[in-house]
Amino acid sequence: MKPDKKVPVFEDEINFSVNGDSYKVRVQSNWTLQYVLHDELGLTGSKELCNEGACGACAVIIDGRPVLSCMILAIECDGQKIETVEGIAKAKHPLVEAYVKHSCMQCGYCTPGFIVTAKALLDKNPNPAEEEIKEALVGNLCRCGTYPQHIKAVLEAANNLHRGQRV
Amino acid sequence: MSSDEMSKIQELFDNLKSDKYPLAEYRSVGKRGVRRIDGYEKATGYAKYTMDVKLPGMLYGRFLTSPYPHAEIKRLDTSQAEALPGVRAVLRYEDPELPPGADLGGHETSDVPVLPKVAHFQGEEVGAFVAADSEEIAEEALTLIDVEWEERPFVLDPEEAMQPGAPLVNPEAFPDGNITNQNQGIDVEEHGDVEKGFAEADKIVEFKFTQGLNTWIGPERPCGVFRWNGDCPEVWVKQQRPHICKRAVASWFGGIPMNKIQIHCLYQGASFGGWSQMPWNLGGHYCAAVVAKRTGRPVKWMFNRREDFYGGEMDIGIYYFKAGAKLDGTITAVKGRAVVVNQGMPVFGFVKHFAENTKIQNIYGKTEAVLVNKGPTTATRCEQNSNCYCLNQVFSHLADALGLDPVEVALKNDGAEGHDMKWLNEQKTKLGFQVRDSLKECVEKGKAAIGWDEKWHSPGTKRLPNGKLHGLGFVWTHEWDDSGGTSEIAIRIERNDGTATILGCRSDIGVNGETAYCQVAADELGMRIEDVHYKAQIDATFFTMTPDTSTNMSVNGFAVRNAARLLKRQILEAATISSTTQLGSAPAAFPGKKPEDLDIKDSVIYEKADPSNRRTLAELAKFAGAQGPASSPLGEPFRTGQPYLNYTYTQPLFAHSWQVQMGTYSDVRLRFCRQAHFMEVEVDEETGEVEVKKVVTVNDVGRVINWEGCEGQQYGGAYMGIGRGRSEEVIHDPATGVMLNGNLLNYKIPTMLDIGSIDTALVETGMGYGPYGLVGIGEDIATVTPTLIGPAVHNAIGKWVDDFPITPDRVLKALGRA
Repeated sequence: MKPDKKVPVFEDEINFSVNGDSYKVRVQSNWTLQYVLHDELGLTGSKELCNEGACGACAVIIDGRPVLSCMILAIECDGQKIETVEGIAKAKHPLVEAYVKHSCMQCGYCTPGFIVTAKALLDKNPNPAEEEIKEALVGNLCRCGTYPQHIKAVLEAANNLHRGQRV
Repeated sequence: MSSDEMSKIQELFDNLKSDKYPLAEYRSVGKRGVRRIDGYEKATGYAKYTMDVKLPGMLYGRFLTSPYPHAEIKRLDTSQAEALPGVRAVLRYEDPELPPGADLGGHETSDVPVLPKVAHFQGEEVGAFVAADSEEIAEEALTLIDVEWEERPFVLDPEEAMQPGAPLVNPEAFPDGNITNQNQGIDVEEHGDVEKGFAEADKIVEFKFTQGLNTWIGPERPCGVFRWNGDCPEVWVKQQRPHICKRAVASWFGGIPMNKIQIHCLYQGASFGGWSQMPWNLGGHYCAAVVAKRTGRPVKWMFNRREDFYGGEMDIGIYYFKAGAKLDGTITAVKGRAVVVNQGMPVFGFVKHFAENTKIQNIYGKTEAVLVNKGPTTATRCEQNSNCYCLNQVFSHLADALGLDPVEVALKNDGAEGHDMKWLNEQKTKLGFQVRDSLKECVEKGKAAIGWDEKWHSPGTKRLPNGKLHGLGFVWTHEWDDSGGTSEIAIRIERNDGTATILGCRSDIGVNGETAYCQVAADELGMRIEDVHYKAQIDATFFTMTPDTSTNMSVNGFAVRNAARLLKRQILEAATISSTTQLGSAPAAFPGKKPEDLDIKDSVIYEKADPSNRRTLAELAKFAGAQGPASSPLGEPFRTGQPYLNYTYTQPLFAHSWQVQMGTYSDVRLRFCRQAHFMEVEVDEETGEVEVKKVVTVNDVGRVINWEGCEGQQYGGAYMGIGRGRSEEVIHDPATGVMLNGNLLNYKIPTMLDIGSIDTALVETGMGYGPYGLVGIGEDIATVTPTLIGPAVHNAIGKWVDDFPITPDRVLKALGRA
């Protein structure tokens, strides 16, 4: 088998904001946003788990929506404002402390993706019902099966948000 | 060290009796709301896993995999791959650095080819390993390797594989046939006389059930990093057993001294046994080590998501049963035959729980372990699966045939080793346990939570207003923590602030054992929980027991307690002796007092007779100067007693201890603690869909150390169990032997919406052999609950679906609609 003639890799420079910090990054056209965040910027909270949009472990928030960073090309993110779990933690969002308190993690590999998805939910719906939380988080897979604990944590975080608590 | 304390510790080494020396008071153990020590890191993405490791100059390694279920490489042309820019090395199976075989991990020590030239299942890593500047380049290089394969005949079905003339699955290792061999491939377990038992029975059932291949799904893919620092290996492992990895690495390249090997065991993206017990799981590390040596660069090897579907749980198989009982539910005989597949560890019986868990006297089970051209199977949360399934299938089928409540049939037959509860209760007393009826306590809690008495009905008789059929299911067995094992651990009182650090490298797979050890150490030392920390990722060179057969607390819990008790004695001694430091003499913290006059509470040492006479541990430890302790009586050998005369040296505050847990499996320890699980389902007759409305899991863990940790195992175990019972199955194409659903879109693990609700309950009878009377929980629920859906669906539709997982097509088939 002979290799096809090599196609030159298309690269471009993108400017985007991650958690309020500005970045100028040279990316190849086939790099996913997850790869750039995790491997190039060292934001290891955006985890690669299924690598095909099936699990939510790589979730980040763009334009107020939780999106799967493994399904987005970084080169498309020029000018975007991206929020990752590291930013949510830095802002001391009550979700983080509620997640710790309710032991929502076991191995922890999927946990940041849940927090990102839950943050996007609370941004939109600060007072979600249990069913709405389940609906929002159903795309996040947890092999350790921590699901019931997430519901408690998100409800508590919503409560604390109302009280204006930043832990 | 107090010889008295040491003798008490050694007295409990055998772990075959009750804990005679519990604490008088618990301040952290068993309390709710203890903050987990890994929680913040994991919630925020700061927790680092092996997949996150990125070292300067690091190469990325990937394997060639076989497109065929059975094929030999006849010729390999890697020249195009080697020429690709960014490729730094291509390791080939016939390269001189590769030995004929090496210990590459697994349940036992192994001696297997590093890069085989023959593949025995589709997707197996064979022939070549590429290391490149990026994973992407390595991937591309793999596509440039030209392989001439010689395809061989293959067989996927275990009963076909047993037939004369069937294709040989692995002629290299097993030229005589596909039943692995007489010593390892067949296991017979026999108690009493089953024919006599059948003669005594009023009712006899015979049935067959099957369990499809399910697998672990590690959120973090298998991976690892190998770096040579001169001739010293530095190794990052995604593994449940770092100490076994180290032992294996030490055997490579003609032998590497253990004290030159540094292991890093970062947070683990789960594991569930599985991959960590495969006999080739260090193949990547070996190849990485060779390439790292060639190139002078660290190498990270990794599987892709598809390759994580390497093998699966060892319960895959076909089970035939005949069982008899009297009309009152007393079971008189159980006889079974199991055909199991590709077991990567010594073949394990499947009727053990009948012996360990019941008063049934006549039991026979024959296991035949067969090879097929699929990936290997091993203990994947866990090896007790087949035992749990078989116990529950037999009990459920018999209860149905007799028209009895299955809960009553369980209670009727509870016991151990063929003896009834009266005998078992006598044994509890003999071993120093209190006498409690664990199963009864568990089922009472469970029945109340699921509403059993109100909702139980005859099979196939309850249609709900929504048109669906309603069903209830129940399963049970004992609790276990089965490894005969040892563990070493140490605790150090830090200078400067007097906090305590637990040392001992172990794999943190997420069960929160680390926090539980801190709770044990805190209560034993009299310290506040926030003053104790466990650095589990640091290779302290000890052989620390790792998550394995649910022994986190029963083995390591004891080891931590032992170290803490020795350390506490040291602290109290240090508080009573004067010392000389670099700045001069220091008086004793408690002059004129003896260690027994003092105690510690909330990290404060105090005089028992006068609690106002107190020093914090921080005050005792004091500040350490640049050359060691400046004013502290602790530290580098310091002099006590009369300055410069008759001085003695005292050790720093550090205690190392260990635990030996004897024995494993049946005939060693009687099982006293039980578990019971309940399920409520609704079945749609039109679609065959089974909706799991509610699960109730009840576990007698003897004593709870960490509530949230135990409940986490109950929730997680229920989800994994329901996945295995309802939707998880690895499918191979019968025509080509190719795995069809090696991804998370088509291999269905449960989501948040797959169980309506889960109620958990914990029972604390204190009848476990671990410290404070505890017993393990980590594997139990995921292992016991997979077949829970069976009796629940039967109760709904009135027909048995005995092929697991119970997918809609199988339900429809049972209903005669497919």
